[in-house]
Amino acid sequence: MKPPSISRRDFIKVSSVAGVGLVIGLYVPGCSGIQTSPVQPTPTTIPPTPTPEPDVFLSPNLFVTIGTDGSVAITCPRPEMGQGTRTALPMILAEELGADWTTVRILQADAGSAYGDQLAGGSTSVRTYYGPLRNAGALARKMLVRAASEAWDIAPEQCSVKNGLVTNNQTQETLPFSALVRTAMTYNPADLAPAELKDPSEFTLIGTSVPRVDGPDIVTGKAVYGMDVRVPDMLFAVVARSPVFGGTLVSFDDSQARLVPGVQDVVEISSGMNRGEPTRGVAVLARDTWSAIKGRDALKITWDEGNYASLSSEGIEKELLEHATAAPGDGELVAYYTVPFFSHSPMEPINSTARAGQKDCEVWAPTQNPQQLQSFVVRTYGMLPADAHLHVPLVGGAFGRRIEFPPGNAAPPAFHLLESYELSKYAGVPVQVVWTREDDMHFEYYHPMSVTRVSAKLDDIRTLTMRTSEGAGFGIPTGAWRAVTNVPEAFARQSFLDEFAAATKQDPVELRRPLLKDRQRAVLDLVAERSGWGSELPPGHGRGIAIHSTWEVSPCAEVAEVAVDDSGNIRVLRVVCAIDCGVAINPDMVKAQLEGGILFGLTSTLKAHITISNGRVQQSNFHDYPLLLMSEMPEIQCHIVKSTASPTGTGEMANPPIAAAVANAIFAATGKRVRRLPIRPQDLVAA
Amino acid sequence: MTSLVINVNLKPYTVDVEPDMPLLWVLRDRIGLTGTKYGCGVGLCGTCTVHLDGQAVRSCALPVSSVGSKQVTTIEGLSVDGSHPLQQAWLSESVSQCGYCSPGQIMTAAALLQQNPHPSDEQIISAMSGALCRCGTYPRILRAIRRAAGGAA
Repeated sequence: MKPPSISRRDFIKVSSVAGVGLVIGLYVPGCSGIQTSPVQPTPTTIPPTPTPEPDVFLSPNLFVTIGTDGSVAITCPRPEMGQGTRTALPMILAEELGADWTTVRILQADAGSAYGDQLAGGSTSVRTYYGPLRNAGALARKMLVRAASEAWDIAPEQCSVKNGLVTNNQTQETLPFSALVRTAMTYNPADLAPAELKDPSEFTLIGTSVPRVDGPDIVTGKAVYGMDVRVPDMLFAVVARSPVFGGTLVSFDDSQARLVPGVQDVVEISSGMNRGEPTRGVAVLARDTWSAIKGRDALKITWDEGNYASLSSEGIEKELLEHATAAPGDGELVAYYTVPFFSHSPMEPINSTARAGQKDCEVWAPTQNPQQLQSFVVRTYGMLPADAHLHVPLVGGAFGRRIEFPPGNAAPPAFHLLESYELSKYAGVPVQVVWTREDDMHFEYYHPMSVTRVSAKLDDIRTLTMRTSEGAGFGIPTGAWRAVTNVPEAFARQSFLDEFAAATKQDPVELRRPLLKDRQRAVLDLVAERSGWGSELPPGHGRGIAIHSTWEVSPCAEVAEVAVDDSGNIRVLRVVCAIDCGVAINPDMVKAQLEGGILFGLTSTLKAHITISNGRVQQSNFHDYPLLLMSEMPEIQCHIVKSTASPTGTGEMANPPIAAAVANAIFAATGKRVRRLPIRPQDLVAA
Repeated sequence: MTSLVINVNLKPYTVDVEPDMPLLWVLRDRIGLTGTKYGCGVGLCGTCTVHLDGQAVRSCALPVSSVGSKQVTTIEGLSVDGSHPLQQAWLSESVSQCGYCSPGQIMTAAALLQQNPHPSDEQIISAMSGALCRCGTYPRILRAIRRAAGGAA
């Protein structure tokens, strides 16, 4: 890829949105000419502050732009869903650049192949971008240092950079970035690449718990999520979909719906899926969300329930158990662990906004996978990538729900985009499709139910074998849910290890230690020590331990301390957690991910799951899918192992261990072993 | 549709609405104040929480016709400049992850502190337990409320 020429501006793109006003997009030279400043009529999270000379800047790559006033703008390539990409990724670049972090502006990348892989999933954002963003920042620094060294007539090695200033180490003179940009712009980045990286011991920003960049906008209500996108002349829509998986539309009567005040139109569109093909639903277009919802309530629709109308989670579980069951061998301990279907339930339900123009289009989607959505538009509607602008507002939670599977995969495509795009084409104006909470819970893809068989010879734990029978492909859409296969794997393995320990009269920690590699063992020992493992607890209390390396990295161990009363009511009193994730870019954000993973996992360990009956999901809102409440939270203590190794990820890691840690603690407290989730009081008082 | 005047953040707004439209949607879709969020639509999650004459209410379940002349305060109007002690405490304690539930949490907590300036932990937890967070920020919410109430975080 030829490095961009950075001393010429390309051009300022002016586009008109629905004929009302002008929206300016700034082209930053890049390999594919993709816009980096999103075109957003809605107020952006941080208003772009034009420098006095907006066309003159140093930008050796897509990720950083330095204006002649010295201002630094860093583009975050990955969506922000609360895991902290908009803070951590820019920190990495700012560290190597030597920028003044307090004045850095953060821009959010549109979908664009030049950014690399923009999918925020698999706990990979910091892991994937650590190297590239360090390189990007270091190269910009090198160019500025060269300009300063020329101005002072010294060698570049005699300069240092901090907080937006280059210092002459001999004389302590300084030059701010603003004084160096014009000169640096005359250099060809290719001549200076690669740039030397700092030694981690020199980090002054990485490893500090700076506040999240979006905090001020979040607490004042200014932050823009997908549902908050507002575009001139837009309509709002909700879609009626077959209540039974794979059902098809037969007919509908919209006469009453059209009479609802605020409703503009009713139209049949593609949505849902049956055997890999979109099925049809009925959309109500209105001037506001509420009118659209009321309009939909007034529709009379006939559905053909189709082939999956008798599906039930009970039936699936029975099949999975049959599939998984195999008699134990001689001297073998065998156990079966069941994990049900789980819902993602981010607080912001599914939505997207589309402006489907003739020559170009814009989509605003709170997504984990901007490139997938862009490529869907390109492939389905024949747009050029440069004309298919996919903007990424803040994401109100995702947990795997917003990964937007590629079409051609057996899992459903991004229906919300199919809906909003088709409706915008139809209506000739931008359309925001909103999924109500009920829609979100009924029509998502779920963590698949599974039964895992674990066995080991009682005289040799190293003979442990696991086999998971997964409930995918039964007609219920399933997909990635925070840590995916690591969830049933950790629940099964870590529960079984304790069952083995009990059967062979070993301590659960001592049993695990020889099975672990060094960094894993260190994490285990850390939580054992910090939790007071082995010390006495009152009657009815118990401790349980679990350790798991999600995606075979970032070992994470948890000790849960529970109390169970005579009615089987379970209180999780405390969780002690430790992780070795390599370099912690922002330690407090790492702790937040650990707390978050634990509390997310406690909902599925103790409270809520999805059941299916007659081809329908039975849960619809938070009354029957109850999330963990503040009154149920344990005290959580987090420990991060100090490391200079490259970061390996944290977002999902604290979720897999918690179920087994709690199940093991309950066993320690009561002598009762529960092998399915969620664990309920009635499981503990059964005769 | 009828024409109604409601007072939001100390300003009168004339809105053209059906009387049964929940205040949430009037705020978001008619007036354009999108800081108040939609999470469940049935009063179970708290993301839609606003103040009506200082009392916390779930705007998704409140028809606009029942607002009358009461003062509506949304997250945008809690302070002019983000200086409410809870907004400041939220930042000091780095509460938010995705942040979608934060406006509703802050408004719920603000109403609590208005009525009970120095709540015990039990009182905080009791008042806040109906406000859901999927990202798991509860421990930090508790610390932020303690801090805003002037106690040790």
